[in-house]
Parts: sequence; C-alpha cells; structure tokens
Amino acid sequence: MSNRTHCTWRVISPGLGLLTLLLLVSSCQPVAPTDPQEALIAKGRDIFFNETFNGNGRTCGSCHREENNFTIDPAFIATLPPNDPLFVAEFNPELKENFENPRLMREFGLILENQDGFDDLANNFNMRGVPHVLAQRTSIESPQGPRTGWSGDGAPGDGTLRSFATGAVIQHFTKTLNRVAGVDFRLPTEEELDALEAFQLSLGRQQELQLPLPLKGTVARRGQELFLDDTLGKCNICHSNAGANAVIGGQNRGNANFNTGVEALPDQPADLTGERVPPDDGLGTPGDGTFNTPPLVEAADTGPFFHNNAIETIEGAVGFYDGESFNNSPSGQAVGGIELDGTQIVAIAAFLRVINALENIRESIEFLEKSTKRKSAEAKQLLGRALNETDDSIQTLVAGGLHPQAVAHLRRARKLTKEAVHSWFSRVRLTEDAIREQQKARADMVEP
Amino acid sequence: MRTLFLGIGLITTLLCSMSYAHGQKATERYIPIGQSPGISNKYTYIGVIEAIDPQQRTVTAAGHTVQITDETRIWLDRSLQKLSNQKGSFDDLQKGRKVEIKYTDTTQPQVAQWVKVQVTAP
Repeated sequence: MSNRTHCTWRVISPGLGLLTLLLLVSSCQPVAPTDPQEALIAKGRDIFFNETFNGNGRTCGSCHREENNFTIDPAFIATLPPNDPLFVAEFNPELKENFENPRLMREFGLILENQDGFDDLANNFNMRGVPHVLAQRTSIESPQGPRTGWSGDGAPGDGTLRSFATGAVIQHFTKTLNRVAGVDFRLPTEEELDALEAFQLSLGRQQELQLPLPLKGTVARRGQELFLDDTLGKCNICHSNAGANAVIGGQNRGNANFNTGVEALPDQPADLTGERVPPDDGLGTPGDGTFNTPPLVEAADTGPFFHNNAIETIEGAVGFYDGESFNNSPSGQAVGGIELDGTQIVAIAAFLRVINALENIRESIEFLEKSTKRKSAEAKQLLGRALNETDDSIQTLVAGGLHPQAVAHLRRARKLTKEAVHSWFSRVRLTEDAIREQQKARADMVEP
Repeated sequence: MRTLFLGIGLITTLLCSMSYAHGQKATERYIPIGQSPGISNKYTYIGVIEAIDPQQRTVTAAGHTVQITDETRIWLDRSLQKLSNQKGSFDDLQKGRKVEIKYTDTTQPQVAQWVKVQVTAP
C-alpha cells in the first residue's frame, strides 16, 4: 500500500466508522408518527401501558396485557413477579382488605369490582374476569348507548369507552380505599381520555367478518353451519357474524345485554373455594341479571369464559348453551332452548378456534408488514407482537387438534420472525419469509 | 303462519330481555364536581343552591329547579378537604352550597339522577 493510499484510508476509516455508528443509533430511535390520528394512538398506547395516575402503581396494562391478548388468566398471572402491581393487595397494607381477593385472582384470574356501590366493601362486591379490549370498534355500540365492561355499564360519566378509564382509575388504581381524587390518584385529563379511547379503538379487528367463510376444515365447516343455523346452534342470533352484535328479526340491534343464566351455573370454580363470592346481578343497581355480549372471533385464545371466568375451555363455553342453566334462563327460553350433542359442541368450538387463528394470522401479517417499514426499535416491537399472535394461533389450533399443516407453517413463521428480531442485516428478508409462511397457513384453512 | 308467530314471539321476548345502557354510578361518587367525563357542563347544572322546597322535594341551582326523587343519588364531595366522598341525603342540600346536578330529562321540573354537594371545612 502506498503512503498516499494509506493516508486516504486513515482519513476515510474513522469517517466510515462514525457514519456506521450514526446510522445504527438513528435506526434505533423510535420515530414520532406524523399522522395526527397515529400520534393520538401512540400517545394513548403510552398512557395505557405506563401511566399510573399517581395511584398504587397499576396501569391499564396491568390487567390488559398486550402479550396476553389484553387480558390476564391464571397461567399468565403465574409468570408475574411477586412485586407486580397487579398484586398490590398482597404488599400494600392499605389495600389488604376489600380491594382484591388474592386467592381468587391467582387461582381464577378474578378481579374485585364494586359495581353496586362502595358503602359495604366487605359484602357488596363482584368477582369478575378481565375482558380483552380487542375489536371494540365493532363491539360496544347499541341503540341505547355504548356498552362497556361485563355488564355494559362499566364507565362513569356518559358511559362511553372514552369515560371508562376514569372509573377504572377510581376502582383499581387507588392508593387507599378512601378513593380521594388528588390524593389517592389523579383523574385522567380530557386529552388523556381522548388518547386512551383512540388507542383502544385501534386494537384488533376493525370490521365484522362476513360469514359464512369458505373454510377447508371438515369439522370447522360443520361448526360454522351449526353456528349460523337459527334452529340448531342459534349462536348467530346474538353473535352475528361471530361478533358482539345481535341481529333479531333481520334488524341489527347492536351490542346487547342478556340474561343467559351463567350465574345459575352449579359448581362455579370460585364458589368451590369457600371464599366469599356474592352473586353478580349484572347491569344496573340493583342489577337486572343481564350481562354484555362479547365478540366471539377473539374468544378461543382469551379464556376463561363468561363474566365470572366460570369455564376454562372454549368447548366448555359452547357446551354451556346446551345445559340447564342456559335453557332455563330468560334468553334460553326466548330462543326456545338449545340442544346440541358432543360432536356438535366440538364442531362449533372448532369453528371458533379456526376463526380466532385466522384473526391471529391477519394481525401477525399486519404487524410483520408494518415492521418492514419501520426502524429497528419499533420494528422489533412489532415483530414481538407478531410473535405473540403467532403463538396464539399455534396454541389455538393445536389444542383443538386442527389443521396440522397450517400449524407447521405457523411454526416456521415463528422461527423466521424470531430470527428477524435478532438480525441486523436480514431483518426485512426474514420478515418477508415469515409473511409467506403465515399466508400458507391461512391458505390451508380457508379458500382464497 | 306458526313460524311467523314463533318468530314474532322470539323477537319480542329477546327484545324484552335486552337492557338499556347506563353509566357506572358507583365510581361516579368519587369524581369531584365538574369533572365527570362527557357529562359535566353538558348534561349537568353546576352552581350554588338558590332555593330548596322540602315539601315538593325540589332544589334550585344555576337557575334550574330539579326534582329529587327516591332514585336520586346524593353524594357529598369532600375532595377539597382531601377526604373520601360520602353518601348524602336531602338534608345535605343546603342553600349556598355548591352542587352539580345531573338531570335525566327535559320535562319540567327536571328529575335529578344524581347530585354532588360540595362540602367545605366547617
């Protein structure tokens, strides 16, 4: 090497190193969205997962975990450290009594709610599961107004999703049972409520499915027929297109409340413990015994089921409608009862598993595609979300013994996505390969 | 014809078993006057009590007279004292006290769904 060349390299090398470093650093910086709606959603996301509202340390994300489909269940709870704010009643003396029931939380994923008032905390409470917050865009509107929470009346103020966080902060974020605004917590501002609403509405499905789908699986296809048959499964009456809206007499009634007799179930898990679990009277004070209809597309991977987490599996949840509790309930009587046999129950559950997995695949692809257009930090976050969805689709299908070929493609997609997370130079190529595997999995389950 | 009647019966029964949406009243109690989301200053009157009629069970504030019924919830807003808000009664509606009244309809006199009464230090 000549002296001149050597000199040139001595100048260029540090320059190149600096440039590479700058590129690496800049690729790790999250970029603020420029679209106002996207910016609002991003702000809402930050509040949802990080804002404690000067309370006991909990955030909205303490119960609505992104990595667990925006809900919690006993298996997930078991993975959390003892100092997780979810367990605040276990380590904050002020909240030891009448704030949560730690045993029922850990064993059945139940949260304490004072739906009917705060005057008799020891006796007047309900133990409820945590509903996921996916697909709210299509799931909470009704001619009578929005319905939020398990009994449709979860929000204070005007009862909208926007107002929901205010009630949640008072119920779940307080430092003491005095619940004094400005002392035990601060209330969300108008701007924060706007952002939280925008974020929640952005989650999951933005439109209804259009059933029937051209499903390939024999059992799931039969399950779909039973689901849509208003004289047999009768599911589609209250869960039109497997969503949360009722279509009665050809008219869309929106999201509705029904008394389906869940409270009458014998041997409810929480009751078996001997812990105090007062009956839940549902909507209103005193309650009218009705509960809100959740969407079913997202059901299979968000159990346990019903407002009291009474049933662990999707097969059991479908089977509930064949039982005495439902058939003797006001809604059971209204539809003339439902009579299904074991094979039919499993077929409907298989259908629900397949549409849930298809939704997981849709979301995975969306996250994967988005990640290819984002810089490193944000891309990795999106890849992580795609991984969660892929895990769910695999688990949902495997547990039902469904579509082994699709599962094989999903496992490959998972491996590629994981490699993409750790790859500096091949992230986009690996992500594109993962998308192709997701598409193959979908093609195995449904006609194009 | 039988199917038609059955269909009408099903629709009627199901619609009767459907319930109306409501805001959650329980946590409303802990929201200080003027801060109820989507409600305050839109569907509430905020002002000081100008008159009370115990016989008619009405209260007048911010120029509006509203009916207090057995269904009306009355809460004592003690947040300025940094104390927990409490359940109140008609007797807590006293002239000169600041209130927020959530009304339920536009008939005259309007019916109060809830009333928050600000309680300051004695």
